[in-house]
Amino acid sequence: MATFFATYDFLLVSMVLAAVLALTLYLPLMAGQLSVASPGFYALGGYIAAILSTKVFHPGPGLYPVSLVVLEMAVAAVVSGLLGLVVGVPALRLRGIFLALATIAFVQILGVVALNLEVTGGAIGIFGIPQPFSSQLQYMWLAIPLLLLSMLFVARLERTRTGRALIALREDELAAAAMGVNPTYHKVLAFTTSAVLAGAVGAVSAHFINTWNSRQGTFDTSVNLMAFVLVGGSRTFVGPVVGGLVLTALPEALRGVADVGGLPPWLAQFLRDGRLIIFGVLIAIGTVFFPHGLITPGLLRRLGGRRRAPTA
Amino acid sequence: MNRTLLLQQVLNGLAIGSVYAIFALGYTLIFSVLRIINFTHGAIFTLGAYATYALTGSQFGINGLLAGATLPFRLPFVLALLGGSVVAAICGVIVERLAFRPLRARGADPLLTLVSSLGVAVALVNVTQYLFGAEPYSYPDPLEALPAAVNFGTASAPVLVRTVQVVIFGVSMVVLVLLTYLMNATRTGKALRAVAEDTTTSSLLGIDTDRLVLLTFVISGFLGGVTGTLIGLSVGIAGPYFGIAFGLKGLAVIVLGGLGDIPGAVVGGLLIGLAEAFVPAQYIAYREAVPFALLFIVLLVRPQGLLGRAQVQKV
Amino acid sequence: MSRHLSVSVALAAFVLVGGALAGFAADPPIPIGVSVAQTGPVALAGQEQVLGAQIAEEFFNKHGGVNGRPIKLVFQDGGSDEPTSINAFQNLINVAKVVGIMGPSLSQQAFAADPFAVRAKVPVIGPSNTAKGIPQIGEFVSRVSAPVAIVAPNAVKAAMEIDKNLKKVAVLYAQNDAFNKSETETFQQAVKDLKLDLATVQTFQTTDTDFTAQVTNVLNVKPDLVIISGLQVDGANLVKQLRDLGYKGLIVGGNGVNTAAIFPICKAKCDGILIAQAYSPAYKSRVNDEFKAVYKDKQKKDPPQFSAQAFTGIQVFVEALRALDKKSPIAKMDLATLRVELNRQLISGTYDTPLGEISFSTGPGMGGEIVQKQAYVAQIKMDPDGAKGTFVFVK
Repeated sequence: MATFFATYDFLLVSMVLAAVLALTLYLPLMAGQLSVASPGFYALGGYIAAILSTKVFHPGPGLYPVSLVVLEMAVAAVVSGLLGLVVGVPALRLRGIFLALATIAFVQILGVVALNLEVTGGAIGIFGIPQPFSSQLQYMWLAIPLLLLSMLFVARLERTRTGRALIALREDELAAAAMGVNPTYHKVLAFTTSAVLAGAVGAVSAHFINTWNSRQGTFDTSVNLMAFVLVGGSRTFVGPVVGGLVLTALPEALRGVADVGGLPPWLAQFLRDGRLIIFGVLIAIGTVFFPHGLITPGLLRRLGGRRRAPTA
Repeated sequence: MNRTLLLQQVLNGLAIGSVYAIFALGYTLIFSVLRIINFTHGAIFTLGAYATYALTGSQFGINGLLAGATLPFRLPFVLALLGGSVVAAICGVIVERLAFRPLRARGADPLLTLVSSLGVAVALVNVTQYLFGAEPYSYPDPLEALPAAVNFGTASAPVLVRTVQVVIFGVSMVVLVLLTYLMNATRTGKALRAVAEDTTTSSLLGIDTDRLVLLTFVISGFLGGVTGTLIGLSVGIAGPYFGIAFGLKGLAVIVLGGLGDIPGAVVGGLLIGLAEAFVPAQYIAYREAVPFALLFIVLLVRPQGLLGRAQVQKV
Repeated sequence: MSRHLSVSVALAAFVLVGGALAGFAADPPIPIGVSVAQTGPVALAGQEQVLGAQIAEEFFNKHGGVNGRPIKLVFQDGGSDEPTSINAFQNLINVAKVVGIMGPSLSQQAFAADPFAVRAKVPVIGPSNTAKGIPQIGEFVSRVSAPVAIVAPNAVKAAMEIDKNLKKVAVLYAQNDAFNKSETETFQQAVKDLKLDLATVQTFQTTDTDFTAQVTNVLNVKPDLVIISGLQVDGANLVKQLRDLGYKGLIVGGNGVNTAAIFPICKAKCDGILIAQAYSPAYKSRVNDEFKAVYKDKQKKDPPQFSAQAFTGIQVFVEALRALDKKSPIAKMDLATLRVELNRQLISGTYDTPLGEISFSTGPGMGGEIVQKQAYVAQIKMDPDGAKGTFVFVK
């Protein structure tokens, strides 16, 4: 048991953080907007934490105070939120594929900027980021509350007027606008909330992986997030969470399967090196056989009974 | 800025731009007929390049499943190019049948197809690596006898462009003309445009939409193979990932020109090439951001691109 | 009765012989972990490292392993991103229970994954991490990849010997790669120290294939020397395009292009490049000759730097294990003690490797920084048909 946690502590926390990031994609999606801008805010949050902890709050020896990490998360959240507003207001007039492309462009531009600034360390990035915990598993003290709070927030949101407005926008934006729902206000709200959350996750992640550079929070991350939501379930907030947890674990589970003795060597070799092939194929199959993702409101209704699902 | 430098930068821009353009043509063709962004284009382009390499009778390196493999015959470059592109076309069709058709059959959101195409692209690229290894390969050079560069200036103020890039520019123009002719002057082209307009109505009118979609993927895959091989000729096959980098920039190109607009793909490609070429020397580190900054601005100001028609929201 | 007796005797003999044989089969092979980029965009480097490591495994097992006990390499793909390399390290440390890890491929991955090894007190040898600050990550982090500081000025000086009127220098480097970013800082400093005129600094990405813009900017300042810090494919394409577009001056390449893998790309145009090498196939020593022979047999070309460094990493582990075992039998140590003792031993040893004679320097809170006796500058000589080439020592 101890070996299990020693081996998989990093993976378990990564799964939880990925689930939170998946929610950052879900939030704009509730309003029918596919925005893959969250990796950009994630990167920004990470840099803020990295720069603050290594250059501003000069850490002494020993563990870095958790309160400072929380402070960094707050700063990252606020800055990301502000940037989200600045970018969101003009960008959210776009619809569908155009918005998706604009957010892709946004992430790429941030990446180039990060690569070129002195303060971000260029290609090498920032390293030696201090640790607030003595073991990786203790990051759960930050990750799990973050996940639970965001899940709670989204669950609540779905029941308020704002949440219903977002869903109305998703179903038919023109009709909703005609009924008095202000589309821009609600879309920007969803986008900015998503940015705030992504920034906070970034701040934790910088400490979590000891280093931060321009390779964190890129288009590849967007691809992963899209997979989490579209395979996990795009119609209920449980979907992205499950998608994030499962799909983050999947490549490593395949690594573990490859190690199981008794497999013919070519198969073990394939499972080891072909993890990305299997991952890609699973995404493709998932979109065909589970177009609304694995977790649908219908499924939840069947399982939960009592839970009133939002519009189907 | 002196005239020689100006001319050099313009030609540089056109050279880089024609590479983007020829890639974007295959990309935008699929969008024009099916309204989907096909990320597997980059992977198919790579497969085409590798197939051509195999057909030139060359050998693969030690890494990968097909270590040291060679085909028992060798073709001259042009035939290998055509053969490799046919292989790419076939791959494109297989991808369509397996991954996109089921999604189309149930009217899935185009964004779902985009994600699916990403998954397939990731799988294909890694299959390529699994089979052929990650090392770079170079074609036996058919242009060896020609001088390495063409001089568009004078002997005292040379303005050089690499010969292979002149070839690529030429090919992109030819493809542009052929595709435009196909779309506008043939019956098949008309049928394709009908399918793009409205699939259901087209099939009700007796157009075999399935066959036309197939044709679209065949042409797009073939173009991808040609592009991959030509770029491989210019800079070598850098490894299984060398098509992916084009995929993202390709997005900027087709949006700038107008999604689905064929001449737009070429205009977009050349413009982005020129924009990149004119980045001042001291800001070259930010060059990578230029296509995406342009993409962002175009989306805010004129999302239908330069040559596209404004999208009218139908209620 | 006699049948029972004969069966019992046979059984006893069987058990005795079997037991003796089992005794000779003795301890299981010593597991050494290798975590490099076997998938993803960095796989090109990773592939070469895997090959170098595999050659080392066969080589050292053939020569008696660790005082009679073979080693076994356990490969876990570190991928091309930080989280995958962390997961690979965790697997090697906790599941495969290796005595030490060689890897990861990128400096950025090292900054992420090495702290995990430091916390678990497992020695790590970086085969290709050259950024500043790697051994300073912790006491258990060492590297056999020299941070270029010594070799770079030599290459520039060699260029000045060839062109006595050398004045203007253009520097190009891959800005998205930690290896090359560190290297170019050394080159640019060397240019300033040697009182040359740094006419322009251009950047590119390792994923770039078209360099016409940078080449135009470089040709515009009419340099006598161009210094390139890039990886194999981008570096080779840059050289090819420089030559195609008329550059006739000298070219110095950094460690990233120190590989015969550039020959298929720039072919005859690779000729004349001066390379600052951390490894030279031309270095004459018994171990390098043997390593080269095995590599050439498999790949039909000279070994690249990445493979030589990987081989060296494994060699350091093996020789340190041998030395440690002589002092105190490792079969009797528990894993935790073995890892700590191995780390101490490897940092204190000297080794005759394909890279030359190496040892480690250390300090408080850090592991082993490589001290490499030999520094090489070589010039590439291509055959007229551009198919084959060699690295020839300069001076």
